[in-house]
Amino acid sequence: MTKQSPANIATIPDEGIDKGGQRLTTDQITRVISRHLEEEGGARLKIYMETCVHCGLCSDACHFYLSNDHDPKFSPAGKVKQALAPIIRKKGRVSVDFIKKASEIAFTECNLCRRCVMYCPFGINIAYLMLFIRRICHKLGVVPQYIQDTAHSHSATMNQMWVKEDEWIDTLHWQEDEARDEIENLRIPLEKEGADIFYSVIGPEPKFRAQLIYQAAVIMNAAGMDWTMPATSGWDNSDMCMYTGDEEMVARLKKVHFEAAMRLKTKRIVMGECGHAFRSVHDVGNRYLGWKMSPLSVIHAIEFYYELFRDRKLRVRQKYSIPVTLHDPCNVVRGGGLHELARYVIHETCSRFVEMHPNREHNYCCGAGGGVINCGPPYTKKRESSSKVKADQLADAMARGAKVIIAPCHNCHSGLEDTVKHYGLDMEIKFLGDIIYECIYK
Amino acid sequence: MMHEIFSFVRGPMVWIAFTVFTVGSLYRFISMWRLAKKKDSVVFNYFSFFYALRSIGHWIFPFAGVNMRKHPAMTVVAFLFHICLFVVPIFLSAHVIMFKESWNISWRWLPDPAADIMVMIVIVCCLFFWGRRIFLKEVRYLTSVSDYLILAAVAAPFISGLWAYHQWTAFSAVMIVHIISGEILLMIIPFTKLSHMLFFPFTRGYMGSEFGAVRHAKDW
Amino acid sequence: MKQNNIFTYTVIFSIFLLIGTIAAFSQEDIENVHDSAFKKLTRPAVAFFHDIHNDKAAIEECNVCHHMFEGKKRVEDDDSIGMECSECHYKEPVSSIPDLIRAYHLQCSGCHLKQKAGPVLCGECHRRE
Repeated sequence: MTKQSPANIATIPDEGIDKGGQRLTTDQITRVISRHLEEEGGARLKIYMETCVHCGLCSDACHFYLSNDHDPKFSPAGKVKQALAPIIRKKGRVSVDFIKKASEIAFTECNLCRRCVMYCPFGINIAYLMLFIRRICHKLGVVPQYIQDTAHSHSATMNQMWVKEDEWIDTLHWQEDEARDEIENLRIPLEKEGADIFYSVIGPEPKFRAQLIYQAAVIMNAAGMDWTMPATSGWDNSDMCMYTGDEEMVARLKKVHFEAAMRLKTKRIVMGECGHAFRSVHDVGNRYLGWKMSPLSVIHAIEFYYELFRDRKLRVRQKYSIPVTLHDPCNVVRGGGLHELARYVIHETCSRFVEMHPNREHNYCCGAGGGVINCGPPYTKKRESSSKVKADQLADAMARGAKVIIAPCHNCHSGLEDTVKHYGLDMEIKFLGDIIYECIYK
Repeated sequence: MMHEIFSFVRGPMVWIAFTVFTVGSLYRFISMWRLAKKKDSVVFNYFSFFYALRSIGHWIFPFAGVNMRKHPAMTVVAFLFHICLFVVPIFLSAHVIMFKESWNISWRWLPDPAADIMVMIVIVCCLFFWGRRIFLKEVRYLTSVSDYLILAAVAAPFISGLWAYHQWTAFSAVMIVHIISGEILLMIIPFTKLSHMLFFPFTRGYMGSEFGAVRHAKDW
Repeated sequence: MKQNNIFTYTVIFSIFLLIGTIAAFSQEDIENVHDSAFKKLTRPAVAFFHDIHNDKAAIEECNVCHHMFEGKKRVEDDDSIGMECSECHYKEPVSSIPDLIRAYHLQCSGCHLKQKAGPVLCGECHRRE
């Protein structure tokens, strides 16, 4: 396996950070940060920073630390020490170079997976602290270019991938057409008022993975669901703004999403297999809008599939026979407790299941989530070398027979693809929907 | 001279120490509460007693969490340390008798040999923590001078107490050091990282609430 | 040789005599504070030389220490010589009468603190030797 030291990576410049930094002066930084601390630095920030007794017990939680030769700079508390502690201590009077470095740490060396929260005796939320830094970087305009571009897309088009409204509708029609070759009279119902289910997906699905919409339509059809998708904005449930620290945009995005579902008078929202979108809709965006929990019932694809099998809405033609393992995505497992439901669906559809270790809430991060993969090519190598522990975990599952990794999350999917390729593992990555599509009576 | 010093550290100074500790702790609680009300209302909105207690319960029970099982030595040391740290000062015969003398109240106290062993445990644990800070690179990286100072502040009353109990040498001086270091320790609790003692139930409880009620997941 | 023997016997006899005299002389003095109520000692017994203490502290009246109370009132011209402290001071405090440990501590270190003389720290009285 290839091993790379952190020194010889990041050779591709990041214009978002470099040019963003060029525009700043120390005085501006100080002004912005001190106002930010005044407005948003509350009791959580204070207690987290003061309560940490520097015991280092969070280190073993972090795949960055474990993958980079146990370099303490990559431990969760180590990242806080580098990127946040000086900001608090100096009350924001930090240099441009410091902010650039802090931005790189917060955006590309932490996946916000919250595994360390489960390893800290005090339950200090390191992900919150990293997001606090990201928001400072957002306010200063020092955000990695690639992820900032997705945030720009969100604010301009209300979706992540610059998809125009006609392109969206066209894609749905196209997938409906394709699917009709397989299943006569199949519909992807657009704008159907009063449908039971409002099905929403993430921007990359119509952009790169349109077949997932096709598969979803086939599953909905086979299960006899009354469902719809909107022809307007609100179809995209993804949210990179949640990861760039643009909280105002998070609220706008979720408002559009919820309102599309409500305009169509649907009973509940079913989301595609995406982790961060679930975090945004179930846990984060609703809060910025003033809802304690989401204003109408939201369920992730895993739970939806579980219901379909539990209620015998789907019938298995032939179980998937290639041995599978499951990657528990942080945002739906540590963030949604869907791990047992995912296993239920796998046991319904697959004949051989191999657990990877650790698993469930303790699974290692895919290395892509939290917006890290969205920061783009300048950080690909760092991301890959920081997934060494993930590769070892996968190799172990592979040694015990697993040939397919089920990853019910888009980010995990992409991250695991890179990891599998980089470390030369002979494994395929699939969504739960891929498996279900293959083995049900249509 | 000795009498003046002793009268002061055993009299007014004790009052000062306990006052600074309680008023300081109250101040920290109240100001933190108000700050949270103002800027972190999420903490109150999502706080769930059931899940808070579920999380706290798992973290105050040895080896209940994955990370505790990953670091067995640290877990044993941390639990022994904290238990002895609290039990000895409160149930030491000499301390109870001081309360008896002053206020005519008393409670059961530990046999002296037991307290003696527990104090040695505290000191050995402090050495262990010190060793971690020196020898484990992930801990060394996080450690600053203040972490050593706080460790010394915690160890001082126990080392001097052990010394005074065994009357090794310079008894009177060590005894005064013991009293003063104990009072200093009490006074700095609310204002240093030792405040983790005050805030542990809140940070743990809040995270337990978020993990339990919102995310339907374990946090241990 | 003979003379030498006599000298040796004289020395030995003198030593015995000296020890005897000292012993006889000290019989008056209490060397350790003891009370039959203390069965098992937690801390070392407290050495106390009655006459030396009283000379140093210039205490004339016995009942400065060997006090006698009637109810809450101290009886000025009575004393408690010959009594054990535990005859009045029990293991637990009874109404206004302090318990035995507290009585001893207040009696000794209480007075020492007030007079700014004499031992006050635990280990100054309860010495390990």
